[in-house]
Amino acid sequence: MPPLMGIEFLCRVSDVLSDYLGGLNEDVIKDNFVIVYELLDEMIDNGFPLTTEPNILREMIAPPNIVSKVLSVVTGNSSNVSDTLPGATGSCIPWRAADPKYANNEVYVDLVEEMDTVINRDGVLVKCEIYGEVRVNSHLSGLPDLTLSFANPSILDDVRFHPCVRFRPWESHQILSFVPPDGEFKLMSYRVKKLKSTPIYVKPQLSSDAGKWCVNVLVGLRNDHGKTIDSITLQFQLPPCVLSADLTSNTGTVNVLGNKTCSWSIGRIPKDKTPSLSGTLEFESELERLNVFPTFRVGFKIMGVALSGVQIDKLDLKSTPSRLYKGFRALTQAGEFEVRS
Amino acid sequence: MAPPAQSQRSPSPSQPSGKSELSDLKLQLRKFAGSRAPGVDDSKRELFKKVISYMTIGIDVSSLFGEMVMCSATSDIVLKKMCYLYVGNYAKVNPDLALLTINFLQRDCHDQDPMIRGLALRSLCSLRVANLVEYLVGPLGSGLKDSNSYVRMVAVIGVLKLYHISASTCIDADFPSMLKHLMLNDSDTQVVANCLSALQEIWSAEASRSEEAPREREALISKPVIYYLLNRIKEFSEWAQCLVLELITKYVPSDSSEIFDIMNLLEDRLQHANGAVVLATVKVFLQLTLSMTDVHQQVYERIKAPLLTLVSSGSPEQSYAVLSHLHLLVMRAPYVFSSDYKHFYCQYNEPSYVKRLKLEMLTAVANESNTYEIVTELCEYAANVDIPIARESIRAVGKIALQQYDVNAIVDRLLQFLEMDKDYVTADALVLVKDLLRKYPQWSHDCIAVVGNISSKNVQEPKAKAALIWMLGEYSQDMQDAPYILESLIENWDEEHSAEVRLHLLTAVMKCFFKRPPETQSALGAALAAGVADFHQDVHDRALFYHRILRYNVSVAERVVNPPKQAVSVFADTQSSEIKDRIFEEFNSLSVLYQKPSYMFIDKEHRGPPEFADELGNLSIGEAEDNVVPSQRVEENDKDLLLTTAEKEETRGSSNNGSAYNVPYDSAASVFASQTQIESAISNPTTAGHSQQASFGIDDLLGLGMPAVPDAPPSPPQLKLNAKAALDPSTFQQKWRQLPVALSQELSLSPQAIAALTAPQALLRHMQSHSIHCIASGGQSPNFKFFFFAQKYKESSNYLVECIINTSSAKAQVKIKADDQSTSQAFSTLFESALSKFGIP
Repeated sequence: MPPLMGIEFLCRVSDVLSDYLGGLNEDVIKDNFVIVYELLDEMIDNGFPLTTEPNILREMIAPPNIVSKVLSVVTGNSSNVSDTLPGATGSCIPWRAADPKYANNEVYVDLVEEMDTVINRDGVLVKCEIYGEVRVNSHLSGLPDLTLSFANPSILDDVRFHPCVRFRPWESHQILSFVPPDGEFKLMSYRVKKLKSTPIYVKPQLSSDAGKWCVNVLVGLRNDHGKTIDSITLQFQLPPCVLSADLTSNTGTVNVLGNKTCSWSIGRIPKDKTPSLSGTLEFESELERLNVFPTFRVGFKIMGVALSGVQIDKLDLKSTPSRLYKGFRALTQAGEFEVRS
Repeated sequence: MAPPAQSQRSPSPSQPSGKSELSDLKLQLRKFAGSRAPGVDDSKRELFKKVISYMTIGIDVSSLFGEMVMCSATSDIVLKKMCYLYVGNYAKVNPDLALLTINFLQRDCHDQDPMIRGLALRSLCSLRVANLVEYLVGPLGSGLKDSNSYVRMVAVIGVLKLYHISASTCIDADFPSMLKHLMLNDSDTQVVANCLSALQEIWSAEASRSEEAPREREALISKPVIYYLLNRIKEFSEWAQCLVLELITKYVPSDSSEIFDIMNLLEDRLQHANGAVVLATVKVFLQLTLSMTDVHQQVYERIKAPLLTLVSSGSPEQSYAVLSHLHLLVMRAPYVFSSDYKHFYCQYNEPSYVKRLKLEMLTAVANESNTYEIVTELCEYAANVDIPIARESIRAVGKIALQQYDVNAIVDRLLQFLEMDKDYVTADALVLVKDLLRKYPQWSHDCIAVVGNISSKNVQEPKAKAALIWMLGEYSQDMQDAPYILESLIENWDEEHSAEVRLHLLTAVMKCFFKRPPETQSALGAALAAGVADFHQDVHDRALFYHRILRYNVSVAERVVNPPKQAVSVFADTQSSEIKDRIFEEFNSLSVLYQKPSYMFIDKEHRGPPEFADELGNLSIGEAEDNVVPSQRVEENDKDLLLTTAEKEETRGSSNNGSAYNVPYDSAASVFASQTQIESAISNPTTAGHSQQASFGIDDLLGLGMPAVPDAPPSPPQLKLNAKAALDPSTFQQKWRQLPVALSQELSLSPQAIAALTAPQALLRHMQSHSIHCIASGGQSPNFKFFFFAQKYKESSNYLVECIINTSSAKAQVKIKADDQSTSQAFSTLFESALSKFGIP
């Protein structure tokens, strides 16, 4: 049996369960074991995965929620199974529930990017790559046929699509043409490699001065995109031979946790000064040289910009209903952003 | 309304205090059984929930079976589902009661609601009670023709379940051909997919039994079926796509244009969001192009990007599985990936199993152009907090050096490691420097200068210490104080716990002696004295050898110990290319993750024969048995080497239950055996009444393998079986079809044997100890079916046995077929006696 099939299926089960139960832990499963049994019954039979699309499962087995609980108390009818079979099991668009109706036709597109970067101690980019996802949240009536195009599709290195995306239009014109599932889903994911710069720089310095080790870390912006960077954090592991650390910063807060993890949350960078962290480390014994250098892991969030430069050009609905509200957002955050010292 | 049910709206499972709770539940269930009052469903639901929660946490609530069944008449689907669940769980242990449920399940199979029809059919097929099979055929037949695809989908899987309970019923009802029809004509792809998986399973299981099964299996991978599935592949669910893709890998296209058609059609599957689909597609591409070398290379280029994307998305488990496959591909074609080396850089907080794979890949993709960057990166990891990874990366640097790229720079790095002043770094670097020097002796000058500075006291690990000592011996002429370091090491001989280090020390001292005799002489004397007195056999022997060779002739000794050395050009690879190819063939399976071919981890002993199947096709192969020779047998083998035949007989006599019988005999005995006519040497008190045995009165005297007659004269039995016989299932099947039945008889079994035969495995082990190996087994009480085989010792003559045991009548039907017909009677006797000893401790 293919290993990924097993792993992907388990991931799907956990997604569906946490979707249904609003979390996934032992207690939640114990409290809702009937639903869990019902779900597993539909998701796998005789060792072969059957229905795993959340939309269809939702039609077969109603999720437990407050509304249905209230309803069951009021009406006394507490069956959480719908009376009819979902139409989509027979349709050729298995991801879409049959004919939902919405008063407002809305579709939101989010570009979420994660930046994976390694910077070495000389400040040189060793590796910089962006992994991005296009997440769509659609609430559209009927059977909508959407097309989405990018302003600059050529910069995408490799793409993966939700099954709803038609392959041919992408191959010929780099246009995403699809009938979306209802609700939130991941339309595509992509990779952009060989980026030239990072939005933020971190300059760590370690120096020894008369038996004491001084740490000095500077964090600053490379301002080239005009958006503010939020929730900047910095984390690093102190070498195991460090006895104690005395660290202070001019902005944000510094915490040294029990396992010698040091975290510095800066938040937003103030206009007037450059955040810096400095302090001294005390070692078990006097060391001439440090053998283990900490790696600084950086976290940040930039709203409103996709750092890879990917831009959505337009989103069209083929069969135009009365009105359509479209919303776009972009967000870049740090993935594995590490700076070595 | 029942008070306890009301008090707990969502019962978290608690331990019932004891029997009273169960009987309490029983009473309450009984109360609701016939009632149709409004609101009853709600209270029933609470009760059912309770029962099922007990069941879930492992409390046996099967005593409520009758009450549960009585309560099952309801229109509430959730109640029904819970009831089905309960019934499905306990029907197997309560076959008689299960009969009660048949009625209401059958009724539900005709319900208005397709959901209920489907659920009822699924539960009906999940009962797994052999004697209820007849009730399944009807509902399944109508289920397959149901107008609703949900019911058809369930029915198809139901057919497969029926097949596992009773294969003959399933075949007789002609379900496979109905499935085939459905597969090629149904409008719902999930039905098609289920048909496909059911048919695959049925035909491969059936392959051993019927003539048409292999043909049918072939038909599944015939051109029309494959094309039909390929054309609809986009309609299938992602899991079904995996199934179809797996099927396509078995298909052999007729020409290259067909290959390109298939690949063009499947190319977009590489961009599927589900990693399983992507990997299955990759496998199709790789398999299809195996014979076309240049296209195969293009395939590598094409699949590279999707795989790399898969690695960077998803959970660590997913990326590890993908990474393992990538690892396999990188190892096969490193040059394709050499420009993507940055993808294999380790991130700080990746789990170490991921890092380890990445390090190996970095090592593999290193070439002239990227070595510098890769080694720089690896050196970063050497300072990692994660010590195993730090070590691993140092080794990786060494391996790259041995690959001959840019050795100059790497040697410098390695020497830097030596100066890093960390135990584990120094240790690993030392081992590497040693290997490097063996390959590139020209670097000795630089290395020795650094190595000389290392104090041997700081090196504790045996491997590193041995490496250091080797260098001291090999380059003692260049190192000023080599003799003195060795001397101090020899002084601490007793504190050196590793024999490897002591061996190296001896050799090093010898080498040093030939280069700088005056300084080393005393140390050599001390070392030889200590070595000869050493309790470790190898150390002792080597010391003695050196001592004697020195006394014999010093110049000869020098030629032996210190010959001119040639640089090692290639270090032995740990895994043979054959094994690597095997793993590649099993792409997209666990073999890749374990990095060994499937036969290495699918071990019969660990897995046991499948529960339901009693056919040959999907059973494991007897070869695994070679790996698990019982320790007792090994011991016996050892004794064999030392004891005379007479002594052997005694040992055998005193050893328990005659399992020593399968000890291989020496050649003289086998000559004797082949001279003697076909006779069996075994008799047994319990089966002494049998007529065949009576004719071998003389053999009764031998009493071989029998504790009862220990003093019998030593004479080997005439028919001996090979204890390690091997036969693969396909050969077995072939032979079974070809050979006529030599002997067919009915044996009766002792009550002890029946008692011991709770599971097929018990008999397997027993027969194995008599050199009769099982190739396939199955069945459930009271009917068991076994296929055994045995091989004549030192001959390739095989015996095949079909043995059907019915425990209720205590009879065994035995059919024997043999390559050599003349010996089948003797084998039969042997088999009979082995069987008769089963269950007797």
